[in-house]
Amino acid sequence: MKKFQQLAIPYIVWACIMLLLPMLLIAFYSIIQQGNSIVHFKLTLDNYVRFFTDKDFLLILWRSLWIAIKTTIICLLIGYPIAYFISKNSPKVQQILVLAITLPTWINMLVRTYAWIGILSSDGIISSFLGLFGIHTELLYTEAAVLIGMVYNFLPFMILQINTALTKMDKSLLEAAQDLGANKFQTFWKVIFPLSLPGVVSGITLVFLPAVSSFFIPKLLGGGQFFLIGNVIENQFITVGEWNFGSAISMIMAMIMMLLMMLVRKLEERNKEEK
Amino acid sequence: MSKDKRVLGKVGMALLLVFFYAPILFMIIFSFNSSKSLTHFTGFSLRWYEAMLKNHSMMESLYITIIIALLATIISTIIGTITAIGLSKSKKVLRAFVSQVNDFPIMNPEIVTAIGLMLLFITFQIEKGFVTLLLAHIAFCIPYVILSIMPKIKSLDPNLADAAMDLGATPWQALVKVIVPQIMPGIVSGALIAFTMSFDDFVISYFVTGQGVKNLSIMVYTMSKRINPSVNAISTLVVLLITITLTIVNILPIIRKKTSPSKQNKPWKWAVAGVVVVGLVASLFGLNKSAGSQPYAGQTLHVYNWGEYTGENIISGFEELTGAKVIMDNFDSNEQMYIKVANGDAYDVLVPSDYMIQRMMQEKMLQKLEPETRKECLGELVDAIKGLPYDPKNEYSIPYFWGTVGIVYDKRKVSEEDLEKDGWDIFLDQKFKGDIYLYDSERDSFMMALKALGSSMNTTSQDELNAAYNWLIQCVQTMDPEIVTDEIIDNMAQARKALGVIYSGDAAYVMSENENMGFYMPKSGTNLWSDAMVIPKNAKNPKLANEFIRYITSYDAAMDNSSYVGYTSPNKEVMEELGGKGGDYDGINAYTPRAGYDKDEVFQYDETTRKIIADLWSRVKVSASNAH
Repeated sequence: MKKFQQLAIPYIVWACIMLLLPMLLIAFYSIIQQGNSIVHFKLTLDNYVRFFTDKDFLLILWRSLWIAIKTTIICLLIGYPIAYFISKNSPKVQQILVLAITLPTWINMLVRTYAWIGILSSDGIISSFLGLFGIHTELLYTEAAVLIGMVYNFLPFMILQINTALTKMDKSLLEAAQDLGANKFQTFWKVIFPLSLPGVVSGITLVFLPAVSSFFIPKLLGGGQFFLIGNVIENQFITVGEWNFGSAISMIMAMIMMLLMMLVRKLEERNKEEK
Repeated sequence: MSKDKRVLGKVGMALLLVFFYAPILFMIIFSFNSSKSLTHFTGFSLRWYEAMLKNHSMMESLYITIIIALLATIISTIIGTITAIGLSKSKKVLRAFVSQVNDFPIMNPEIVTAIGLMLLFITFQIEKGFVTLLLAHIAFCIPYVILSIMPKIKSLDPNLADAAMDLGATPWQALVKVIVPQIMPGIVSGALIAFTMSFDDFVISYFVTGQGVKNLSIMVYTMSKRINPSVNAISTLVVLLITITLTIVNILPIIRKKTSPSKQNKPWKWAVAGVVVVGLVASLFGLNKSAGSQPYAGQTLHVYNWGEYTGENIISGFEELTGAKVIMDNFDSNEQMYIKVANGDAYDVLVPSDYMIQRMMQEKMLQKLEPETRKECLGELVDAIKGLPYDPKNEYSIPYFWGTVGIVYDKRKVSEEDLEKDGWDIFLDQKFKGDIYLYDSERDSFMMALKALGSSMNTTSQDELNAAYNWLIQCVQTMDPEIVTDEIIDNMAQARKALGVIYSGDAAYVMSENENMGFYMPKSGTNLWSDAMVIPKNAKNPKLANEFIRYITSYDAAMDNSSYVGYTSPNKEVMEELGGKGGDYDGINAYTPRAGYDKDEVFQYDETTRKIIADLWSRVKVSASNAH
């Protein structure tokens, strides 16, 4: 058996270089001065101070979180009933519906987002349709467009996660609840919903995470004046060239995500313990 | 469920499917449109498919996407499987460590993983390109493979391998014949996840690639600024490919079950592997077929140029002439180009603007042109752009295009008197609130503000720069502008807004598309710019680069370039022909630049001012986005 143990060693070396080292490098670049090399450097916290003392950057961070929260809520409100509806069908129909939802995700995200540009533009189908009722709005390059793009890209994750949780559920529990006199609403609220929570939680993380850091959806559908935190990072690395400041912002974002993840895991654990 | 609810559910489900599929359907429909419009279908045509097939950087992006996805899937599945088996027998600490580290790419925002890998490659000076792209893809795929195999291994009987070996199997046989078949479902689903992740990836690829190696996502991202229905055509092709693959994957097992009920599935697997390998080799040969008798046959030229800046037949013309292959990569700003080149990306020809050339010369990043190139090209050029201050003897650079910056306006909404009266200040006029475009260029935005305030655009005075900053802040906070780059071209050609800051060549194109559009250069002066071809020090093929520069300056190529793109040609004959009577741009004032006006200036490079402007402009953009 010892022989098999060694099989993991190459990957451990690889993971240290390709996964661990990059994170350490970001952390390192974020605490040295602009223009320092990896051998000669001066430690500083200026990059962090700069971010946290500038209300404009903080506002963008807040807006990125806020739009991700909105995306997540919309996905949950649409995703849950849909997942519930799917789970009520026969296994065969379920399979087809799940496939129908998965299929578009196989097509490149950028390609699918690009497709929305024509639909949302001011002489596109949506605006023309609204124009029939005398409503004239510009959709492309607004927050609404970004929100639509995000929901479009991330909603399938939510539906699939919740659906998996719902179908895995032990059906005899529902019968038991009904036998014990629970009405439909009670069965749902006291039995089904709590049991589907793990799916909801993983759905939320799968939507929220990419939504916070997305930068091509705001760029394609929000236009150049629509900056989210991902765009600020991209801008620092691609056009401004201040990598140290960019690294600091990346670290801040990674930290926020990690804290949120830990919180979610804590909640999940507590949930399990209660049961 | 009651009947009403069922109906409600069905309606909801149907609406959702419309939401998911309508954009894809739209994309497919408009890929067959006969005009450029993405909103009005004018008739059936295959012209965008033709354009796609001709555009070999587009076809290559598809090829790279598929090759990278296949290689990354195969490699990460093998390594992932071996590692997962090894880990299951390892100490708990080690297992915990690996699962912690594997969580990085899964739990971190993608952009963080991307930046980490980019910093890794740059810090250790690994040239970015195909190899780094592949390494990065393998790196983020393996954790998913391990994650999907681990549970299957845990549910195995731990004594299985021992039993096999007791019965005389070698450890290798035990592994391949006993363990692997047991965990096959996990391996297959891991491979599927890896393929999807790699095929779909944009963010990580975008940061770690170089040398003009682009996957489909990067290509769509860089092309999304101009309306280009060939993007729809290639997307439709992808939809088709995926549909075919999924159908085969879903149907084959059914056929297999029918034809061979026994469990002998090995020949089938070998057949698939064989097809994949043959396909790979065939496509490799397909791409390297151009080994003719021309002088540069088999060589490659890497060009880094602005987006939408080359005539239709420029690249194919040069390839036919020399036998070399041209890989063109695009940037949207001088700064973006500079960062990439300064960090070791090797290109043979760059096309930066005046002040950036000055900077690169100061930083000794450029090499001199061959004397013949200089002599031959100078003979063709317009006098006004020979020997400009940044390179007085044209030792390093030969102009590619030149022009000014001005205001493109809708004649039906904006009067000439208003423009005369306000000049650049028209971008602060409340009458046009919500109806203006600014251009996302730190230099030209500050140029506009400084000129509006009567300063020199090359000022180094902190007060004047601050005043310009306040002017821009006032503009973004009170005028609700859209800050765009090349999107302005198609949008103004469709008269989407009243006013916009624009480069003269783009204005020439807009005016030739829509006669209601005009171009105005404020009296307070503007930027007289030129973009020129230079050869960086780290160029791999300077000889071919010189050849390219001579080719671009020659009459035929310059004609194709300028008549297609709309920017002013540096070639004297071409400029006079196109701007003169009967030329493509006859009567379009934007085509022939205002030369010799004393308030117009050429940008000069100053390190301190550059930093200040870069910082202030990113704050203007942040403030603009917070103003909404």
